[in-house]
Amino acid sequence: MSNVLTVRGLKKSYGAQHALAGIDFEVRAGEVFALIGPNGAGKTTTLRIVATLLTSTDGEITFLDHDHCKEPDFVREKISYLPEEAGAYKDMKGLDYLHFMAAFYARTPEEEKEFVDRAVAITELGDRLKTKVGTYSKGMTRKLLLARALMTKPVLAILDEPTSGLDVLNALEVREIVRRYVKEGTSVLLSSHNMLEIEFLSDRVALINKGLILDTGTPDELKDKHQAKNLEEVFRSSLR
Amino acid sequence: MKRFANLLKKEIKELVTKQLIISLVFTVILFQFIGQVSKKEVQKAVGDQTISALDQDGSAASKALIQGLESARFKVLDQSGKTKEEALATAKAGESKLLLVIPKGFGDSLAGLKPSEIETYSFMRSFSLIGTRGQVVVQSVISALNEALSNNFLKQRLPDFDPQSLKRPIKSKDFVVVQDKMAEGSANMVAGLISQQSLLIPVVLMMIVIYSSQMVISAVAMEKQNKTLETLLTVPIKRTSIITAKMLAAGLVGLISAAVYMLGFQGFMGGIGEEAAKAGAQVGGPAIMRQLGLYFDTTGYIVLGLSLFLAILVALALAMILGVLAEDFRSAQNMIMPLMFMVMIPYFISLFADINSVSLPVKILILIIPFSHPFLVSQNLYLGNYGMIAAGLAYMLIVFGVLVVLAARIFSTDKILTMKLSFGKKKGATA
Repeated sequence: MSNVLTVRGLKKSYGAQHALAGIDFEVRAGEVFALIGPNGAGKTTTLRIVATLLTSTDGEITFLDHDHCKEPDFVREKISYLPEEAGAYKDMKGLDYLHFMAAFYARTPEEEKEFVDRAVAITELGDRLKTKVGTYSKGMTRKLLLARALMTKPVLAILDEPTSGLDVLNALEVREIVRRYVKEGTSVLLSSHNMLEIEFLSDRVALINKGLILDTGTPDELKDKHQAKNLEEVFRSSLR
Repeated sequence: MKRFANLLKKEIKELVTKQLIISLVFTVILFQFIGQVSKKEVQKAVGDQTISALDQDGSAASKALIQGLESARFKVLDQSGKTKEEALATAKAGESKLLLVIPKGFGDSLAGLKPSEIETYSFMRSFSLIGTRGQVVVQSVISALNEALSNNFLKQRLPDFDPQSLKRPIKSKDFVVVQDKMAEGSANMVAGLISQQSLLIPVVLMMIVIYSSQMVISAVAMEKQNKTLETLLTVPIKRTSIITAKMLAAGLVGLISAAVYMLGFQGFMGGIGEEAAKAGAQVGGPAIMRQLGLYFDTTGYIVLGLSLFLAILVALALAMILGVLAEDFRSAQNMIMPLMFMVMIPYFISLFADINSVSLPVKILILIIPFSHPFLVSQNLYLGNYGMIAAGLAYMLIVFGVLVVLAARIFSTDKILTMKLSFGKKKGATA
């Protein structure tokens, strides 16, 4: 399986504070790769760097054989990013928001319609898409944003805590949507501190703490290696 | 280009809200309403004024005085036969703005070349400047009568002399010289006309700069507050296009809003100005201004427009940077303050002082502020200081260039997410 994204020796510092102390990982085509770790471990910083929002202090990132640092415009064409605390324009109707975002990626009006139709199907919000985003519940907004992130079938979808703040049912729906789209060819790089969610969603996992990757592998590999019942125990074991 | 148009459309839609349209319509209606009310008040003030007169003398001179007032568009209500107290009560109860009491012996005193006294009682029913105009006119009528009476005395006593020459042996013929042009008139009048001509420039600039800047700062701050900025920064559109779309949308909406406000303002000023101008028009003013070359030709208007346009661009670029520093919509309101001060400093100095004549350090300080230059353009155009104008335009262009590069740099780096200026909160880096 070829790599969509390869990260080597990635470092990020804010003055004297080191958010990332040199991490290595890769995301393969058609897989869900998850970064798991506690708050402040460096998950969001990693995702923001890959999403071209932040620049790295050191290290190399290769995206589809292109230098990520030198060609951010190329990267932005092929990725989509869902921040943890993302919002949509409150005065826009849901459908208008999807059209607005689709227009950045679509080359033709037909393609834009295709993207929006796909997003409408993902959200399952029906007529509520004709109302303003400001009136949506948190779950509805999150589904709208996830649909926005997946509607263009990006090469790499970067999802930061995709089910953050959602109730059980909404979280379950979001996870199912993500899994479905991976089957259609999108690779996913996601972060979460919900170990059960990661176990359900991810093909491979990297355990991250204090800006360092402690271990990488499939959930089963990691559980075997650390003789643990679940990823929470794996994480505790890898910290020792 | 399609992506840019998509973003620009969204920015404009965000700015042109129902609230904005209602606020604009309301302002125009309010200005027009105030203008019409003021117009009526001014019409009343400059039109026929009702006054009461108690002529206790009944002499030819006192009658001449009352006739003089009537010819000066006063409606004089005769209170003859009443006591002073009765006349005061009647005049006060009625519409009269003033009671004029001509005491007994007024005519005899005049005939005997003794100072004659008349009494005026002004009824101040309002404290507006227009409301007190009645007494000013009465005073000018009295001084005109004084002039006529003294001329008569002098003619009677010294029939061989011209009374005017006796009273004012030195006469001045005033000329104003501007550059190589000269015209007959007073410097005061010319200065007054220039300030009238350039009154709108600072007002227009203030309104557009503050309005557009507020929009840009809020647009960036709202993206941050609504957590939409991160998503926008990862879509395939150049960061410079994001900046340009926001600036262009705010500039366009700011320009249109300012035009609408100016329309309303013109209606307001027109209400007062037209009637006041009718009352106190300075005869020959425009002709003298033309003679002195103190008017804008097409080139002048283009230069002035260019200067205003550059000032707006500078304001928008500065606002973009200030917007990045703002954490949310509330702090964006504070961010507009430095910009407002930068526009208000040259505005107030231009109101009360000549920027060219202040001390060197103050002058340098003012010239460093890019918004000072549009205030100076009209003066420099009149005085032919084309070098100063060109330098001002070049300076604003350079400042704009530097600010745009700085804004683009901020938008292209981590600073767009990590730079912030909190008010009363602890600073914190993005994790």
